[in-house]
Amino acid sequence: MREVVVIGVGLHNWGKFPDKTVTEMSRVVVTQALEDAGMEWKEVEEVMAGIWIYGGGSGFNPGAALTGIMGDIGIPTVNIYNMCATSTNCFRVAYNSVASGARDVVLAVAADKSPSGFLTVLGRPDPTDPDCIRWAMTGMTNPGYWAIDLRKRMEEFGTTERHLAKAKVASSKFGALNPRALFRKVYTEEEVLSSPMVCDPLRLLMVCATRDGAAAAILCSADKARKYTRKPVIVAGVGEGSSLYGDPTARMGFISEPAKGTAPILSESYAASQAAYKTSGIGPEDIDFVELPDNSSWHYLQYPETLGFWGPGETDKMLDEEQTFLGGKLPINTSGGIASFGEATSANGLAQIYEVVVQLRGEAGERQVQGAKAGMTQTYGMGGNSGSVIMKV
Amino acid sequence: MAQKKAYPVYENLFTWPSDEPQLIAGRCRTCGTYYFPRSYVMHHPECKNREATEDVLLSREGKLDSYTVQCFPPPPPFKNPDPFVPYGIGWVSVPEGLSILGIITGCKPEEIKMHMDVKLVVEKVWEDSEGNDVVTWKWKKI
Repeated sequence: MREVVVIGVGLHNWGKFPDKTVTEMSRVVVTQALEDAGMEWKEVEEVMAGIWIYGGGSGFNPGAALTGIMGDIGIPTVNIYNMCATSTNCFRVAYNSVASGARDVVLAVAADKSPSGFLTVLGRPDPTDPDCIRWAMTGMTNPGYWAIDLRKRMEEFGTTERHLAKAKVASSKFGALNPRALFRKVYTEEEVLSSPMVCDPLRLLMVCATRDGAAAAILCSADKARKYTRKPVIVAGVGEGSSLYGDPTARMGFISEPAKGTAPILSESYAASQAAYKTSGIGPEDIDFVELPDNSSWHYLQYPETLGFWGPGETDKMLDEEQTFLGGKLPINTSGGIASFGEATSANGLAQIYEVVVQLRGEAGERQVQGAKAGMTQTYGMGGNSGSVIMKV
Repeated sequence: MAQKKAYPVYENLFTWPSDEPQLIAGRCRTCGTYYFPRSYVMHHPECKNREATEDVLLSREGKLDSYTVQCFPPPPPFKNPDPFVPYGIGWVSVPEGLSILGIITGCKPEEIKMHMDVKLVVEKVWEDSEGNDVVTWKWKKI
């Protein structure tokens, strides 16, 4: 496998854009990424496009919609869906295409527009499908699952609601430093703790909003990258994971789980990150900062432990000591995270990749991690999807 | 006037009609893996015969592993009473080694305790337009 680098990235503002199609949002980020790489559209050799499940043909066939708006050039396109890990998987498949020698220049792109109100059952109602059953027969919402695992954590490790609030405070401090973030206000713990209860013990300001967004990245073989950029960011390793047998996590969309776990919690994320560490040869001790999927304060607390940065229950102490803030041992979500963007499910993975690239290029301004040499992204997709990317300079 | 009926939101998840309903799980006779619902089949990765599955009626009593209190009305396809009242949803482990999701009943949300004993019941979730009870399984504090 040959070395692969990122030569261009693009990021749409996150927000609500009722008058913009997903294809138009993709056009914006692809155009940005091409400009960033100093290249023409017709030099792209393949497109890995994230599927948008709430739309019609252009939602399920985003590759063709994108080549249409940019100008059809007959290149291969692959349409990909892995729930909220979709865009990380687009990046992974693009990486494989270049690393294998099949292509020199591949584009990964994803756009998402979240429906208003609460996300509910996917697809047509199907009484044999557990995701359908959980909605129709129990009213179990997505944050409800997170609250289940959170309450177990609070019992086991003594995590308090103050830790849940501080996770939001930490994210908001980075959001305030990131001109690309949607939510720029710095919160206090008191404000978070006064927000309405959603799924006890998770309050409104402890769970993410949903929004529209899009992002893109162009990958290139290292030996050809000099033509495009003086600041190539090396893709050191990519992992994708699915669940391990015996996973005790309350998995979204499921209505049963093993009572006693014989696999790690969030086993799909554990599997993905282990694969990224293995293929990159870079371990958690060498990662300078991480973008992790903070759909809720529970995720913020659990993920660094699943990724092996420290032991079970220890994020509480790390947060108390502000080790996850700028200047700390491991800055978490320097972009501000999903907490500061809102979730655009198919697209957040590439937004994380955008942030890591900007940091490693030394272009992160006020939120720059000093001396950053290696960064990691981690996404989490409902029902056992996950992706990890490690990049370095 | 037609007699009021009580029917499940979806069929084939629990024995019904019944005075002592039980959840219908599935189990592989070869690798021993249990799964619920019976339609979402799961096997151990090293299972030698994935066709040897059977229906199993689960034990009716269990312990609450964890829970949340749903504080805002869930969206359709769930139907909420008006006014909405926060309610508990929990995961309950049964002796077969599975932990199963279900609405908590028989107590107020503030009375729910981790690891409390519960039993399976079937109760109304909402009424249909003809006044019949639409039912689901729930875990009742005992």
